[in-house]
Amino acid sequence: MRRDKKEDEDGGNPFYNLEKSTVLQEARTFNETPIKIRKCCHILTKILYLINQGEHIGTTEATEAFFAMTKLFQSKDVTLRRMVYLCIKEMATISEDVIIVTSSLTKDMTGKEDQFRAPAIRALCRITDSTMLQAIERYLKQAIVDKVHAVSSAALTSSLHLAKVNPDVVKRWVNEAQEAVSSDNVMVQYHALGLLYHIRKSDRLAVTKLVSKFAKHSLKSPYAYCLLIRIACKLLRDDDSGMDSPMFDFIESCLRHKSEMVIYEAAHAIVNMKQTTAKELAPAVSVLQLFCSSPKPTLRFAAVRTLNKVAMTHPAAVTACNLDLENLITDVNRSIATLAITTLLKTGSESSIDRLMKQISSFMSEISDEFKIVVVQAVKSLCMKFPRKHSIMMNFLSSMLRDEGGFEYKKAIVDSIICIIEENPEAKEVGLAHLCEFIEDCEHTVLATRILHLLGREGPRTPQPSKYIRFIYNRVILESASVRAAAVTALAKFGGHCEELMPSVIVLLHRSQLDTDDEVRDRATFYVNVLQQKQAALNSAYILNGLQVSIIGLERALHQYTLEPAEKPFDLKSVPLATQPLAEQKTAAVGPGETPGVKATEKVAASRQDIYAEQLAAVPQFANLGPLFKSSSMPLELTESETEYSVRCVKHMFPHHIVFQFDCTNTLNDQVLENVTVHMESTEDFEVINYVPAPSLPYDKPGITYTLVRLPDDPTQVTTSFTCTLKFVVKDCDPNTGIPDDDGYEDEYVLEDVELLVADHVQKVMKPNFAASWDEVAEENELEDTFALSTMKTLPDAVKNVIQFMGLQPCERSDKVAEGKNTHTLYLAGVYRGGHDVLVRAKMVLDDSVTMQLTVRSTDAHASEVIVSAVG
Amino acid sequence: MGFFNTLAQWLGMKKKNANVIVIGLDNSGKSTILNKLKPEESKRHDIVPTIGFNVEKFMTKALSFTAFDMSGQGRYRNLWEHYYRECHGIIFVLDSSDKIRMSVAKDELNMLLNHADIVSRRLPILFFANKMDLRDALSSVKCSNMLEVEKIRDKPWHICASNAHTGEGLEEGVNWLTDQLKVVINQ
Ligand SMILES: Nc1nc2c(ncn2[C@@H]2O[C@H](COP(=O)(O)OP(=O)(O)OP(=O)(O)O)[C@@H](O)[C@H]2O)c(=O)[nH]1
Ligand SMILES: [Mg+2]
Repeated sequence: MRRDKKEDEDGGNPFYNLEKSTVLQEARTFNETPIKIRKCCHILTKILYLINQGEHIGTTEATEAFFAMTKLFQSKDVTLRRMVYLCIKEMATISEDVIIVTSSLTKDMTGKEDQFRAPAIRALCRITDSTMLQAIERYLKQAIVDKVHAVSSAALTSSLHLAKVNPDVVKRWVNEAQEAVSSDNVMVQYHALGLLYHIRKSDRLAVTKLVSKFAKHSLKSPYAYCLLIRIACKLLRDDDSGMDSPMFDFIESCLRHKSEMVIYEAAHAIVNMKQTTAKELAPAVSVLQLFCSSPKPTLRFAAVRTLNKVAMTHPAAVTACNLDLENLITDVNRSIATLAITTLLKTGSESSIDRLMKQISSFMSEISDEFKIVVVQAVKSLCMKFPRKHSIMMNFLSSMLRDEGGFEYKKAIVDSIICIIEENPEAKEVGLAHLCEFIEDCEHTVLATRILHLLGREGPRTPQPSKYIRFIYNRVILESASVRAAAVTALAKFGGHCEELMPSVIVLLHRSQLDTDDEVRDRATFYVNVLQQKQAALNSAYILNGLQVSIIGLERALHQYTLEPAEKPFDLKSVPLATQPLAEQKTAAVGPGETPGVKATEKVAASRQDIYAEQLAAVPQFANLGPLFKSSSMPLELTESETEYSVRCVKHMFPHHIVFQFDCTNTLNDQVLENVTVHMESTEDFEVINYVPAPSLPYDKPGITYTLVRLPDDPTQVTTSFTCTLKFVVKDCDPNTGIPDDDGYEDEYVLEDVELLVADHVQKVMKPNFAASWDEVAEENELEDTFALSTMKTLPDAVKNVIQFMGLQPCERSDKVAEGKNTHTLYLAGVYRGGHDVLVRAKMVLDDSVTMQLTVRSTDAHASEVIVSAVG
Repeated sequence: MGFFNTLAQWLGMKKKNANVIVIGLDNSGKSTILNKLKPEESKRHDIVPTIGFNVEKFMTKALSFTAFDMSGQGRYRNLWEHYYRECHGIIFVLDSSDKIRMSVAKDELNMLLNHADIVSRRLPILFFANKMDLRDALSSVKCSNMLEVEKIRDKPWHICASNAHTGEGLEEGVNWLTDQLKVVINQ
C-alpha cells in the first residue's frame, strides 16, 4: 500500500490525481459536434479508471455522463467505439435507462464491422434485462453459430452470464450451443461446451451422457478437454462413485493426451480426488514427474506445486519423484526450488532433513513472503512428523523470526512455533524462549498479545517459571496499552499459579495500578485484589481460567439488568455460556488445509446461541423459563430428504424446561398448512405443557413451531426418547397464486423420534488450566467408577466416543492420543444445566479393548451422577 | 486522409454536417424512412422496432446528415429529450393512417415544442405524413389540421405526405430541410 502511493507520487500513474467531478464535467465534451475522437477516448479512459478505483458515482451524474456518451455512436472510429462498449458495460448498473443503446448495439453486432461485433454482444448482454432479452434472442442465437470465432465466443460467454438471471431463455439455445461445440476453433468449442454443460447442469443423467459422448468423440480443443475433466471430477465427487466408474477411466485416459495442458489437468484431478489409492495415483504422479524435467518453467512449477500438495496426503506416492525434486532444488526459478525443497521435506527421511534445511537457508532471503510461508508450514509439519528433530526446526524457525518479513509471514512462524509447543511438550521450553526473545522486538500488537497470552498459560507450569517474568514485565514498561494489558494478565497468572512468585508479582502489579491506560489499571487492580485473598479457588476461577460466558449474552443481560433496577445483585449464572472461551476463538491456529474463511463461519456459529436466545425471548409463552442454558448445535433432520414436508429440530435447554424448536418447510406448491404443531410423547415423566403453533406454512416458506416440555422432578431423570407427530390443517391452493381454499381438513404426518441425551444437558467449557479447576471443584461430589469399553479397540476411538457421549470439552489437548501409547488420560470440562461445573478425568488403558477409570467432580451431586450414567 | 479532408474543406468541397433528431410515435415509419434515405450499400433489409436509438447517416446535395432515429414506443419517449440540445433540426414522422393515435402524436408534439431545450430556438421542423399509400391514410393537410401545426409561429415547418417504401415525398421533405439548415449551419 505504502509503496503504491510512492510510485504514484513519482508520477508513475498519470491518473493519480483524478477528480471525479472534473472528469464528469469533461464528459460533456461528448455532446459536442464534430466529435473529438482522441479527447473523448481519453475521457472515457478516465471514467473507467475512476469506476475501477471504486469511486462512487451517483445515479444522476452517471446517467448524464452515460447519455452524453451515447452520442459518440455518431463516430465510426473503431477505438472510440470499443471504448464506448467498455464504458457501457461498466456503467450498466450505475446509470439509469441504459437500454437506450440497445438498438445501436444490436446494429453493431449484426453489422459488417467485425471489430464491433463481439464487444457489442458483450455490452448488449450486460445492459439487457429479462424483458428485453426476448427482443434480442434471435440475434444471440445467430451469433452463437456465427462463422467469425470471436463473435461466436462472445455470444457463448455472454449467454453464460445471461443464464444466471434468465436460465429458461438460455436453455432454449441448446441447439445452437450444440452446433458450436463442433466448431474447429479451440476457444469456441470450449465456450460452447461450457454453455452446454451449464444448461444441463442440474440433470445428472444428461451431464453423464454429455461427458461420455465427448469423451469418445475426441474434442479438438484442449481447453474443452480440461473442462470435461472437471465436469467428470464433479460427477465422481457427487456420486461418490469409485475408481471403476467410466468417468475415472476417461480422466485416466487423458493422462495420455497429446496436450500438456490436458495431461496436467488430468493428473491434478486424480491427485485431488478423495479416495484415490496408491494404484490410481501412480500414473498421475509419473506424468508430474516427467513435467519436473520439462524445459518450460510453468510446467515445472505446476508439477512441483501439485506434488507438494500430494505430499501432504500421500507422501509415499511422491517419494518416487525424489530424484527429480532434488534436481529442482537448484532451479533458477526460486519458487520452483522452494516448492521442491518443501516437498522433499515432507517426503524425505529423517536423515535428509539437516541437509535440506541447510540448502533452503541459503536462499531464504531471495524468496517472497508467500513462499517463505510455504517453507514455514513445511517445517511445522515436519516437526509433527519427526518430533525428535524439533530443536533444529525450532532454531530454523527462530532465525526466520529474526529476519525481515511482513505480518503474515511472522504470524505463520509464531503459529507454527505455538503449534509445535502444543503438540510436543519437549519443545515447550525452547519454543517459549524463542517467543520471549521475539516479543522483545515485535512490531505486531496482535502477535505480541497472543504470545503473552500463551506465556501466561504455559509459563507458570514450566519447571522454572520465574525466568519468564522479566520478559513479560519488560512489555509492561515498553509497549502500547493493549500489549501492556496482556502482559499484566500474563503476570497475574504466574502469581495465581506459583505461590512462591505471588509476592513479587503483586509488587509488579501494584506499579501497573498507576498506568495511564484505564484497561491496564483496571486489570492490575482486579488481579492484585484477587491475589491478595490467597484462595486457590478464586485464583482458578478469576485468573487462571477466566470468564466463560458469551460476551454478547453478557452485554444483553447487563443491559436488561440496568433497564429494570432490581434489589438482588446481577447473577452471572443467568448469562449463557460461550461455546468456546473468547481468547481461544480468536487465536485458534489456522491449519494448512483450512482457509481463514472457515474460521469466520465458526465465529458466527459461536453466537448462534445468542440469536436463538433473542428469538425465544420474543415468545411470550417462554417468558418464565429463566435463562437459556444451551441450544443444540446441529439441527436434527426429522424427515427424509425430498418428502412432502421437511422438519428439523433444535433443542433449547432451560433450567427446568426444554423447548423443542421445529423448523418446518412445506414442499407442496398446491397446499397451505395452517395451525402447525408437533405433538411429542415420552414414556417417562416428561410432560408437554405448551405448543406454539406456526399459524401458516405456505409453499417453500419456512416456519417455526415450538413444543415446550417440563423436565421431571427427579434430577437424575434426564434422558428419554420422544415420538413426534406433525399435526396441521391442510388447505388446497392454486399453485400459481398461492391463495388457499376456505375449507381445510385436519391431517398429521409421522416424524422421526427425538432423543434427549446427557450431552443435551451440558455445555462445553474450556478450562485452560485444568488442574487448577480440578482443585477448585474439590472432592466433595466426586464419583469414581471403572468401565470396560469392550467395543473400543483403540484409544483414539474410545476418546472420541467418550467426548461425544458426555458432550464435554476436552482440555489440555487431551483429545489427542500420542501415537504408540497404550495409556491415556482424557480431561473434560463443562457446565451442567443449572450452572454446575463438571470435570471429568478418564484414565484409559488399552489391552485388547479399552478399560477406563472415570472420575467425575462437580459442584452438584446429581450432576456427577448423571455424567457417570452417560457411559453406563 | 486527414490532410485530404482539410484540404477538401478548405476548397469548400466537403459537405457540412447537420444533426437531426427523428421522432414520432412507434410504428410510424421513422426507421424505414431513414433506411430509404441511406446510400445503397449501407441499407438494411429488416427493420425492427427501435429500442433506444440508432445513429444513421445520409447525404443530400448540399449537406451531410447525422440522424438520431429514436424509438417511438411510449416508455422510451421520455428519453428523446437527451438529444434535443445538440440537434439542428427535427423530423417528426406521423402514421397518417393511424387516426386514433393522432391526438397522442399531438400531445408529444406539444411537449416537444414546450421543452426548455427547444422552445426558444428557431429549429426547422419537418413533418412526414407517412404511409400515404395506405387506403385510409389522411391527407397531409388533414394531418396538419389535426396536429394544429399551423399554430407554430416561431419555427419554420413543413409537412409532406410520404411513402417510405417507394421513397415518394421523401426528397421533397429533405430538400426543404436542407435549404433551412444550410443557412443556419454556414453561419
Ligand atoms: N404501407 C406502408 N408501411 C410503412 C411505411 N413506412 C413504414 N412502414 C411499415 O411500418 C412498420 C413500422 O416501421 P418502422 O420504421 O419500424 O417504424 P418506427 O417509427 O421506426 O418504429 P419505432 O422504432 O418502434 O419507433 C414497418 O412494418 C414498416 O414496413 C409506408 O410508407 N407505407
Ligand atoms: Mg424505428
